[in-house]
Parts: sequence; C-alpha cells; structure tokens
Amino acid sequence: MPGPAKNESLVGLVEVVARALVDHPDQVHVERVKGDKHPRIELQVAPEDIGKVIGKDGRTAQSIRVLLNAAATKAGAVRAFLDIVD
Amino acid sequence: MSSNVDETLAGADDGAAADKPTDAADAAAGGVDEHAEEAPRALAALPSEPFVEDGRADKALDFLVDVLTAMGLDCTVDLMENDETDPPGDIRIEVSGDDADTLIGKKGQTLASIQFLANRVINRPSMPRRHILIDAAGYRARRENALATMACRLGKQAVDEGKIITFEPMSAQDRRVVHLALAKFPGVVTKSEGKGATRRVQIIPVRETADAEG
Repeated sequence: MPGPAKNESLVGLVEVVARALVDHPDQVHVERVKGDKHPRIELQVAPEDIGKVIGKDGRTAQSIRVLLNAAATKAGAVRAFLDIVD
Repeated sequence: MSSNVDETLAGADDGAAADKPTDAADAAAGGVDEHAEEAPRALAALPSEPFVEDGRADKALDFLVDVLTAMGLDCTVDLMENDETDPPGDIRIEVSGDDADTLIGKKGQTLASIQFLANRVINRPSMPRRHILIDAAGYRARRENALATMACRLGKQAVDEGKIITFEPMSAQDRRVVHLALAKFPGVVTKSEGKGATRRVQIIPVRETADAEG
C-alpha cells in the first residue's frame, strides 16, 4: 500500500537518528530524492558532524541503512538507499 | 549457528507504542549490591560506589520510542532490571509487541544496528561508558543459549579431535558468550584472533598436566 506517507516516514527515521547522533541537530537536513526507482534519502549535516553519522569504518552509516531498509520493507518498498552528502 | 527469527512473541498486550516505566531510576539501580564482587566485565565495575542513574536510561528509551515510531513499528519498550553479572551502569531494554520480529531482522541484524546506534547516542566522550543491551521478543536470550550450547559441543569436539576449532566472525557480545560458556570447560582454552569485524573465537585444546609427557 504505497502512499505519500511511506517516504515521509523514511525521511523522519533518518532525521530522528541523525539528530540524536550529532552536536548540531538544527543543521540536519534530510530529503527524499525524486525520480529513483527505490526510495533514496539524502542526509546533510554540519561539516564537523559528518564523522558522527558515518562512524568508524562507516559502521554508524551502515547501521542507519539497516534500519532504513527495515522501515522501507515494512512500508512496502524493496529497499532504500541512504546518501550522506557534504 | 544462525538461529532464525522465531515466532514466540512475548505477551503482546494492547501494543501502545510508547509505554515507558516511570521508575527508571529504581529499576536501573536495582543491580547495585555491596557484595557484587567480580563482574566478568570488570572494566566498568567500580565496587562500593553505589550507582546513580544519570538520566541516560530515559534518554535511551526516548530514542528507541522515536525510532520505532518513525519506522512504523507497533512495539512496547520497557526498561528491565540488570542481571547480577551486569555492571550497574548497564541499561537493559526489552522490546515486545506485534512488530518485534521486524525489529530483530535477519540474524538479528536490525536489532544489532539499533543497539549500536543507541549506544552511540547516549555515550559521548567525557562520560563513563554505559552499555545498552536491547532484546526483542526474547531473541537475544534464546540466541545466547543456542550459542552457549554450540560452544560446549564444539569444545567437546576440540578435545576429542585435538584440533583447534575456529568460529565465524562474531560481535564482541557473541564472542563473550562463547568465552564464558567455555571458561570452566575442562581441556580447552579460548581466545580471539583477528581484528575488527573479522575477529573470531578459537577453541584450543590443551593437554592436561598429568599426561603432558605421555
């Protein structure tokens, strides 16, 4: 059952997690990129916070992707992608 | 070894998404005991000093509720009492409800991720580290039992065949279960080899001193 709410919740999930991880939650911007087959979510944070959302060996980013995929599956998508942009 | 997600859901009551106990401080302080001597993870265990809840248990619960809500999962989150062997600062959280299986994920992957992130969120440099342990529908408890049973079986095999047995790479938490399960197992020692994500437990048979020169 796809609908507008489904991608909003993916954006919301990334926002919740990113805001909790960084030092500057007010500078967290999350957007759904239009036009892709699968949901693609772009995450932008303050330059000094990028390391916090990526983590050692990318472990934090990987963990966010796992949750994002679980949420996407739950919402009816096959999978979702997360891009961290600077 | 990979025990799959199985369907024993602990009592899924009325499934209110944000059911938090208010006695957070009481529950978390429950494990503090004057004569709780040698906790296996002695790193975090500071004896005699009674543990004072610093609000991070509530912060962890809030984070979990926010994440589960954003994921659209219908779950209940509860703060649990620590085991006697836990350092008093540890935070145990149990997730139950209709969607707990989704939170577990394949081989517990999703559960491991949310636990990792929760630990990141509440542990900042400059504070003493507090481990968050998250279980969903009893998955981790079942898995630890299965892992300990397998460790003992492989321990016996190592002794019988006189060969070193090496596990697949596992998380620190899982390796600890294996080490503890075989700590008192006669005829073997365990150690971990490798670095980072490829670190594996080895079971090494040792000769008893009695038949050393046999």
